[in-house]
This record gives sequence, structure tokens and C-alpha cells, in this order.
Amino acid sequence: MIDAVERVTGRIRFSQDASLPGMLHAAAVRSVVPHGRIARVDTAAALEVPGVVAVVTGEDLRRLPGLRPVYGPQIEDQPVVALDRVRYVGDIVALVAAETPRAAQEAAALVTVEYEELPAVFDPLDALEPGAPLLHELEPERPHEGTALYFGIRPQFGTNCCNLFRIRRGDVARGFAEADLVLEETFRTPAIQHVAMEPHAALALWEDGRLTVWSGTQTPFNTRQILAGIFGLPVERVRVVVPPMGGSYGCKVFPRIEPQAALLAYVTGRPVKFVLRRDEEFVTLTRHATVVTIRLGLKRDGRITAREVRAYWNTGAYADCGPDVARKGGFGIVGPYRIPNVAVDSRCVYTNLPPAGAFRGYAVTQATWASESMMDLAADALGLDPLEFRLRNLLRDGETFATGETLHDVHFAECLERAAAAIGWEGPQRRELGDGRVRAKGLAVVMKGMTTPSRSEAKVGVDRSGQVTVYSSTVELGQGARTVLAQLAAEALGVPYQQVRVVDPDTDRTPFDNRTTSSRSTYMMGNAVRQAALALRERLLLAAAQRLEVEPADLELVDGNVRVAGAPASALTFGQLVEATGQEELVEHGEFRNQGGLDPDTGQGIASSHWHQGAGAVEVEVDTRTGKVTILHAHASVYAGQVVNWHTAELQNLGCIVFGVGSALFEELVYDQGQLVNPNLSDYLIPSFLDLPERMTHDLIERPGAEIHGLGETALPPIPAAVGNAVARAIGARVTELPLTPERVLRAIRARDGERG
Amino acid sequence: MEQTITVELNGERRALTVRTDATLLEVLRDGCGLASVRETCGIGICGACTVLVDGVPISSCLLLAPLADGCRITTVEGLSRGDELHPVQRAFIDQMAFQCSYCTPGMVLSAVALLAERPDPSPEEIAEYLAGNLCRCGSYPRILAAISDAARLMRQASR
Ligand code: FES
Ligand code: FES
Repeated sequence: MIDAVERVTGRIRFSQDASLPGMLHAAAVRSVVPHGRIARVDTAAALEVPGVVAVVTGEDLRRLPGLRPVYGPQIEDQPVVALDRVRYVGDIVALVAAETPRAAQEAAALVTVEYEELPAVFDPLDALEPGAPLLHELEPERPHEGTALYFGIRPQFGTNCCNLFRIRRGDVARGFAEADLVLEETFRTPAIQHVAMEPHAALALWEDGRLTVWSGTQTPFNTRQILAGIFGLPVERVRVVVPPMGGSYGCKVFPRIEPQAALLAYVTGRPVKFVLRRDEEFVTLTRHATVVTIRLGLKRDGRITAREVRAYWNTGAYADCGPDVARKGGFGIVGPYRIPNVAVDSRCVYTNLPPAGAFRGYAVTQATWASESMMDLAADALGLDPLEFRLRNLLRDGETFATGETLHDVHFAECLERAAAAIGWEGPQRRELGDGRVRAKGLAVVMKGMTTPSRSEAKVGVDRSGQVTVYSSTVELGQGARTVLAQLAAEALGVPYQQVRVVDPDTDRTPFDNRTTSSRSTYMMGNAVRQAALALRERLLLAAAQRLEVEPADLELVDGNVRVAGAPASALTFGQLVEATGQEELVEHGEFRNQGGLDPDTGQGIASSHWHQGAGAVEVEVDTRTGKVTILHAHASVYAGQVVNWHTAELQNLGCIVFGVGSALFEELVYDQGQLVNPNLSDYLIPSFLDLPERMTHDLIERPGAEIHGLGETALPPIPAAVGNAVARAIGARVTELPLTPERVLRAIRARDGERG
Repeated sequence: MEQTITVELNGERRALTVRTDATLLEVLRDGCGLASVRETCGIGICGACTVLVDGVPISSCLLLAPLADGCRITTVEGLSRGDELHPVQRAFIDQMAFQCSYCTPGMVLSAVALLAERPDPSPEEIAEYLAGNLCRCGSYPRILAAISDAARLMRQASR
């Protein structure tokens, strides 16, 4: 990595390290009830605390002229501070700004709030029952208090469903009629948390009616737009600067604390920094808990005739990007299989729980858990080997997916075969070791889309000192974006990549990019950077050709020089060439777009301009006396197209496997009447050195000339499903709910024995 | 209430005036500007706030600053001499043993302490010793490799 020394010496500065002279510190007062009207807020005691400068309540917010008090990336349903009602335990009721973090926290604890409690609902199915308490009163023409932002999403007005995404392909009734066998099962996943080690941190400053926010966010341009919306400003009057992040995994997608920091800065006229405590992280954003029912029609020969899916995504109190999660999960749940008749109803549902949003794997981990567990159930019911059953049905190049799009560059079968081979699938798939220990293997395939349509722009420049600079709004969250983009520019310009500077995203300086999500950056931004760098190369060649009086074709770029091929003495440095133009810096621009989109009522169209493809395979050992699952070997095979940087690519795969292990075996947010029971790292476990599989291996599959495929997420979703399939094989019973805790495994064993007895 | 403590911080004698209820983490990070000392859990689980106190890795989020009076404190800022990195830091770079690197200072310091105690640790011993240092990015396999490499290099150098 080009910033490796900064990182090992601790010199790297994250957004939590940002500071300004005269800066205040923020703290939040949070709701202790899951649903209620705010009857009274008493801030008197808080205002007495030495160092406190302001306490802002919903009442105050309402009284500020020209402000739009609610925001949201897809539905404007989230107040900056609760206006009259709280919707989950953790909802922000008031904000405090003080001279020190301690004073802010102390004051926040002294704000007293009286609530009139309202009935609350926590389960997405309960929330859709007639008469369930409604969280929001969405209306067709007046989505909550803001402007319509229904980008192709379909709220079910008058219910808690904030998006219903459908796929309709073929005729499922006919498909089931043709089937020899119809299976149905329901699968569940819990809410989990990202636990980025660096918390959310933002610093806001108002200067001459202009707002600047330094924030660790994956979405600088969306954040700019949303802040401009709240404060009624043109976007040009808002600037978002993004320092590197100490991890995100989706939790820093879309504004989360920036509106609150900006509001306090607006009210106090001083810079305000807001850093969340760990317990607040746990109630700020989660991964959607899901309930998915799949019905599958099968022929005896292993063909699939129909698939019907009902999926419920528990998005908590505010939609955030839940509607899109339900959409991506809606087609993700179909799986990369040849199925002529498909019907999917995927619903994003409000409940009185913390909001859920983007999470590494973006809906596909939950989708794969359901879909790939179902594939094993089907293989077992047909008496087929799970590998063989999948291979018979996997989509091949040129075949059509459930969305109607034709797939190209398809490698599902190859990924799966390589993963299976890596763990020795051919050998025994199940072995009893005596004393209750059983070893078994499991497989899963993954198909994941990339944000479509979307757009990335980049600039590449060289100055009079010969310094090459990449201007890009792709954020650095540990994936090595700076390094990979530097490499792509360096390659085109013939300079060592270590000498390329990559400017941190800054909406004033770096050009537009949709966002750093969905493993799109190396491909989308990579192409934009490459284009800009190639244009700059052309310009340098032309300038040198003129001065050296040769044809551009006779020139080559080597180590920051343009020289005549075969006559290295005849050369000009990049710096000399820039100087000759009379400019300070020569800059070229590149842009890359992908096109597509889906009809929300039929799910037909282009879901993704290309597909992330992979497979996972694991061998586990289950202690059937205790229910404990140990992962002996986990392997991920991922289609990369072309690998730009093997180091960072490998780290993405390994990191995904480790993430998958946590999700498979122990990560789960536990709520009691909407109150989170485990909001700390001693009760909510993430994988440590001692939780790793004994062996972790992976493949990156390349094809000459192929498109670069992002790798940030692909290896994660198949891991929990492969572990589930291995455990089911080991114990001869299926656990349908993640995580695979000893309690759940034991319960499944007992249920199996109960049935037999 | 405040109190003045004397410490040797990264090789320099310092008198620090601290609140009696301040943690060492707060003092180092906010008071001394040592941004490599980072908080994730605040309850002694994650190791992001690890510093060496008299050579022993401790969670600075749990230690009250007054209790560090008279101690020798090392943060990752004090490991390298100018441009010359500690062998553990070198090995972390060579093995690319990080992604976001938020956990890296704590990992490096724990590894330095481990190698001072046990110059030739097995992978199991490394994993055991660093069980209190979490890496959410999952760079663990590379961290293990880096520490093994560093151990070898340091043994060779001390021969
Ligand atoms: S912050 Fe100190 S151990 Fe986690
Ligand atoms: S490298 Fe990100 S937490 Fe360890």
C-alpha cells in the first residue's frame, strides 16, 4: 500500500482525529422507549453544566426557519432530532454541544424526557398485520415531511412496508403443476452490526454561509446533497471531505451523524465534532434481520421448474437504504440458476428497532443463506449430490437470469468446482470421529450485483515538479483504494506507483462519483482513472513529439520521462513538458458509466452491468454433545476477471471469510422489547485470532482481457450458507436460523431425535 | 480533581497534569496528541488502545492515568527511530498485515512485547498472546505471518 508507512507508524489521520481551533463536542440524548410521543423535554439541568454551549431539541429544530428537519437517502423519514415522536430505543431526542466531550456527555445524561408510550412492533411479519402500529404515515404525493424521493420504489401506503419489489417471470403456478416435488422452507437471519473499529466521526464547520464537513463516509456526494437539502442550500455551498476510515463495511454509507454535527455547528456558530460511543454505534445502523420463505418446484432429474419467494427485510425505524436492500436481495434470492418460472415478493418493513442499512454483502448474505440452504434441501430430497445438483442448474454464459437479462462472462460453475476441490469434496463428505464428533463438508454459490446505473469521474494531473496526482472521490476504508488507483494511473503513465499522489475525496476538489460501495470502485473508478491517465499520456506524448521533432509513435514513457525509443538521451521530463505549456498542472478528465435498471413491478431489466461471482466451501467439525461447531477449513473462490493488486485482493477475500465466520457462528444483536441487550464488545462477539478456521484458503480466478471485477464482498455471503450446509450434513438436521450457536445446533439434534423416537 | 504524574513517554521524561478520573487513553490521545492510541470498545476487549507500560501491553482505556505515575510508556510513535522502522513494523509492511490499519498500532505493540518475552513463538502462541487484539478487517493470517517473520529477523539480528 502506498500509505503503508503512515499506517504502521500510527501517523495516518482518520476522521476521528480531525480537529479545529475552538471546536465543540457533541453528545446525543437518546430515547429509552421503543415508540412514543415526546410529552416534555427538560434541558434546564443540562444547560447548567459548565462548558455546555447548546442543547437542541426537536422543538428548537422546528423553530429554525428555512430548515428541512428530515432526511433519508431513499425516503425522507428520519428527523435530525426527533420532532414529536420517537420510534426506537436509541432515537435521538436532543443534541448537546459543549467545550469538552465529558461536559457534553454529562449534560446529555441530565436531559429528562417524558414520553407517552405508543404500541410498538418488532417483527416484520407482525408489522404487516392489519392494525399493527404504523411507524410512518407515508403518502403517495407527500412522503413524510419532505419531497418525494421514491426512486423506483413502491411503498405500500397505509402499511409499514416501505418498499415492495417484485419479480414476475414465467408462470409459477404452471411451474409448480409440472413439478414432481414441491419443497417449502423458511429461513431467518438476525440483525448484526458492522463494528467498524473506528466509530462514526464527523466535524462540521460553517463559514460565510458555507458548510464544510469532514467525515468518514462512503458517500461524499450523497451526503453533500442531503446536507444541502436539510439546510436549504445549493449543493455548491456544502463541502464534504473524507479522510481515510478505520473500517466501515457499509455502516458509513449515507449520512448518519453529519446532519447532527452540522445542526449543532449551525446553532452555535462554532465547529462541532461528533464521535459516537460504541454503545451508540450498535443502535445507529445494523444489517437487516430477515425472514425468507422459499417454495421450490423440482423434477426428479434435478431440474427446477419454479421458485416462489416471500422475503421480509426488517429495516427498523427509518428506511435508510432498506428499500434498495430489499430490491437487491429480491433478485439475489433467486440465485444463479436456470429457473423458467419465478415469482418474488420482497418487502422492506418498518419496525421499532434501530435502522438497518448497507452492510458488506448488501442483502446477499441473507439471500444466500436462504437460497443456498434451500438448494441443499432440494439435493437431499432428490437424492443428488449437492455439487452435482448445482452444476446441473447453474447459469452458463449467454443464458438468461430471472430479470430477463442475458449473462456474459459467467463463471459460477468454475468457482464452485474449484471451491469444492479445495476442501476435498470428492473424499468422504461426512465422517464420524467417535465420542460424538462428526466432520462434514458444505458448499454455497454466490451471485451479487454491482450498483447499476452509476457513474464515476476522475482527474489525473501532472505538475511542474513531475508529480502525478489522482483526483478521485473513491474513499479509502482499508480496501487499498489509494494504492489500486495509483497503480492504474502509474501503469498508463510509466511512473512507479509509489510516486503517485492520491487526493482524499473532497467534493470541492475531486470530481463526481456515485459512492464507494457494492465493490464497484476498482472497476468503475479504476476505468475512469485509467481513461484520464491515458488522455494525459496522449497529451504528454504530443507535447514531447513537437519539441523533440519526432512522431508520437516513436516515443515512450519511462520513469517520469518521455523519451525517444532507442535513444534514451533524447528525453524530456514530465515537469519540463508541463512547464513548456505555461501551465502549473496538466490535468485530464475520465468518466465511466454503467447503464441499466429494473422495473419494480416485474423485476425485468438490467440488474447489474456485470456480476460478482463466487463460491464458498467449508469443512466443519460438530461436537454433537455440546452443539459446538468448529470450522476446520474455509475456502472461497472468487471470479476477479483481472487482479490489479494481489495483496489487497487477497486481503479482501480473507477478510470476507473472517466476516463470514462471525456471521455464521455467533454474531447476533439481541433485543428485549426493542431494547438492545448486547451493545458492547463483551456481549457482542466479533472474530478474534482464536475464532479463525484452522485453514483459510482462497482462489482469485482471472481471464485474459476480462473486465476487472470488484472483490470487496463476494467471498462473504457464501460462508454462512456453506457452514450451514456442512452442519446440516453433519447432524442430519437443518438449522434454518443464523447464527449456528451451540444452542441452536443442539435443539436441531434434539428435534431430529424426537422425530425419530 | 487533578494531579501531576511523571512518566517516561516514548523515551522522554514528561510531567503531565491529569484529572484523577482520566484514563491513560484520554491523556495520551487528547492530552499528548498521540493519535495512534485508539478507542474501539472502551472496556478492555479489543486492544486498539494497547500501549506498553514498563514493557507490558495494557489496555489504556482501563488504566487510570494516575496509576501510570513513574512508569515507562511506549506507543507506536515511540517505536521507530526517525525513518528507521522497528522490525515488527517492517514485517507488517512486507506482509501487508493490515487493511484499514486501525488495529495496527495495538497489534504491533503486543507483538513487540510478545517477542521480548518469547523470541521464537509458534503460530498458536502468537494467536493466544494476541487474542485480545481484534481486527475487524480480518487481516489475522497476514498479522500472524508478519510476526513470525519479525521474530526470525530479530533472532538473526541478535546473533
Ligand atoms: S478500547 Fe481499550 S481495549 Fe478496546
Ligand atoms: S486492519 Fe482494519 S481493523 Fe485491523
